[in-house]
Amino acid sequence: MALKIVRIHNELLGTYGDRGNADVLAYRAGLAGISATVIDISYRDALPSDADIYLMGGAEDAAQVLSCNALSSGSLHGAVEKGAVLLAICAGFQILGKSFYANGEEIRGLGLLNIRTEPGSQRYVGDIKVHSELLGVDLTGFENHGGKTILESGTTPFGTVVVGDGNGAAEIDGAITGNIFGTYLHGPILARNPEFADLLLSRALGAPVSVVDPLANEYAQLRRKVVK
Amino acid sequence: MKSLPDVRLTLAISIAKSAGFLSKALGRGSGETLPGRVLLTLCPNAIELLSRSRVVILVSGTNGKTSTTKELVSQVRTVGTVVTSGSGSNLTRGVAGALMKDSVFAVLEVDELHLPAVVAATNPAIVLLLNLTRDQLHRMHEVKRVATRWHEMCKEADPSTLFIADVDDPFVNYAITGAASAIRVSFGGAANGRHPDGAVCPSCGRYLDWNLGKYHCDCGLSNEYADHLYATGSAGYRNFVLASLAADTVGVHNALTNIELRTDYRGMERATEKVFGSVKARIRLTKNPASWSEALAGITGNNVILLLNAREVDGIDTSWIWDVSYATLAGKKVIVAGERGADLAYRIHVEGIESTLVDTFDQAIELCGIGSVEVLAAYTAFFALVGR
Repeated sequence: MALKIVRIHNELLGTYGDRGNADVLAYRAGLAGISATVIDISYRDALPSDADIYLMGGAEDAAQVLSCNALSSGSLHGAVEKGAVLLAICAGFQILGKSFYANGEEIRGLGLLNIRTEPGSQRYVGDIKVHSELLGVDLTGFENHGGKTILESGTTPFGTVVVGDGNGAAEIDGAITGNIFGTYLHGPILARNPEFADLLLSRALGAPVSVVDPLANEYAQLRRKVVK
Repeated sequence: MKSLPDVRLTLAISIAKSAGFLSKALGRGSGETLPGRVLLTLCPNAIELLSRSRVVILVSGTNGKTSTTKELVSQVRTVGTVVTSGSGSNLTRGVAGALMKDSVFAVLEVDELHLPAVVAATNPAIVLLLNLTRDQLHRMHEVKRVATRWHEMCKEADPSTLFIADVDDPFVNYAITGAASAIRVSFGGAANGRHPDGAVCPSCGRYLDWNLGKYHCDCGLSNEYADHLYATGSAGYRNFVLASLAADTVGVHNALTNIELRTDYRGMERATEKVFGSVKARIRLTKNPASWSEALAGITGNNVILLLNAREVDGIDTSWIWDVSYATLAGKKVIVAGERGADLAYRIHVEGIESTLVDTFDQAIELCGIGSVEVLAAYTAFFALVGR
């Protein structure tokens, strides 16, 4: 089987280096003997609805609003309903919710996650570590956002905050519903946490994957040791 | 007779100078930023008072501040005495320190976020706005945020202040739309077809379509029209032209003569050369995606050392290293070091480039043996090396 990975609007959602998530997924898939292609979809392109994994990253306010508007046509909703995996970071995560704030205005989100984001009392900037129940490990990254995200029914936290702020409320970070994952962790998150990359690959493939890459593990362990 | 503020200023300067001298004598530092700090504590409006009687020219932007300031200083020196601020002291205290000596001109490099305060205090004759790209996001947060501050600064500046700006950068172009007096310079479009962070119009928030380095937004922001149009060139060449326009404005002879044929700006692009043991190193400052991409494109040798730190001035988040392509390193001997070397080693590994990871620069140099090496170094790593 070949994996189709779509990197959504990187020219808009690429402010914080999250484009690397797609590269890491394709690289690890390759190590597991699975061919994978990364397709960059820009703001002017139509979003394909037949991909296996969709990725969104962090952005500045105006870019976040443009991306949200382009995605409200429904292709992403269709893909997610068919079971595609979706990982959204920071501004991308906020877009998936019911509402978020950009340039001081409340904006209607895509409603794929039952969350809403309000302006926080401060900007949350710095190293972050969260404990993932799903993976049984601590994940590390870097956060840089001004939004405070509140989870509502049907969503579970992506992780419990160990270091940093995460959602800025309830000492949790991110949200999960089915195969939709949202989090504030840049880094990129999949570069610093190979276990999570493999979880996304196995969800997309419907089978466990086995990847051997000692350098990735050493790097992940180093970050986990340092961020405290 | 001197007025009371002048007496206070003169006293503050002599105390600040002694403090700098003492700090240097006691080995507490280079003595570069301490005098300025002391001066501003004793006389908070020192920058304003010391700027009044001279022609002030400021240089700011994400990349190229130091080399452009140096170039401008060497040109302006031909028509009058100049004081300038050294690299690494481009915050307000560095500016204050530089102004303690008398001169006709002051040519000062200023940090992007400190520029509005320095413009307000110095009432400059000319401000050069080079470029704005992503850098130190933990501090700047967003490129647009810096551009908005610059826009307000241009609106509030004295109408006599002339802004000279590269409008192929939409953030810079947006900033000067508020200026009473500006020279808009274009080089026929942004390098590589588009500004790396320019997908959204900084003025109105619409999507910005790029065509061969040109943009034209419905709100009117565009680089299709400029006061001066030059042939395309490297980042060093662009900054050289802006500096020469400033030099011409203050009366430097022949500053713009045959500018498109000149090659004497090459010094602005050159790497610093230094010998470590039996290894000759060419060291380049690489501090953000734009400067990494520019430096990686210029690599010619077969041995490369990459140094990554993530201290305050480097930017404490290293995620941006994923926005740079390292393809030019393929087939070369690559050694990675620095406090965040592990991040970079894994990054290039995913692009198919294997490296040797060591802790320090000295270990990296030892691995080079004899010969030459190209060194790409993050901000703090770069200044640690050139200061050795």
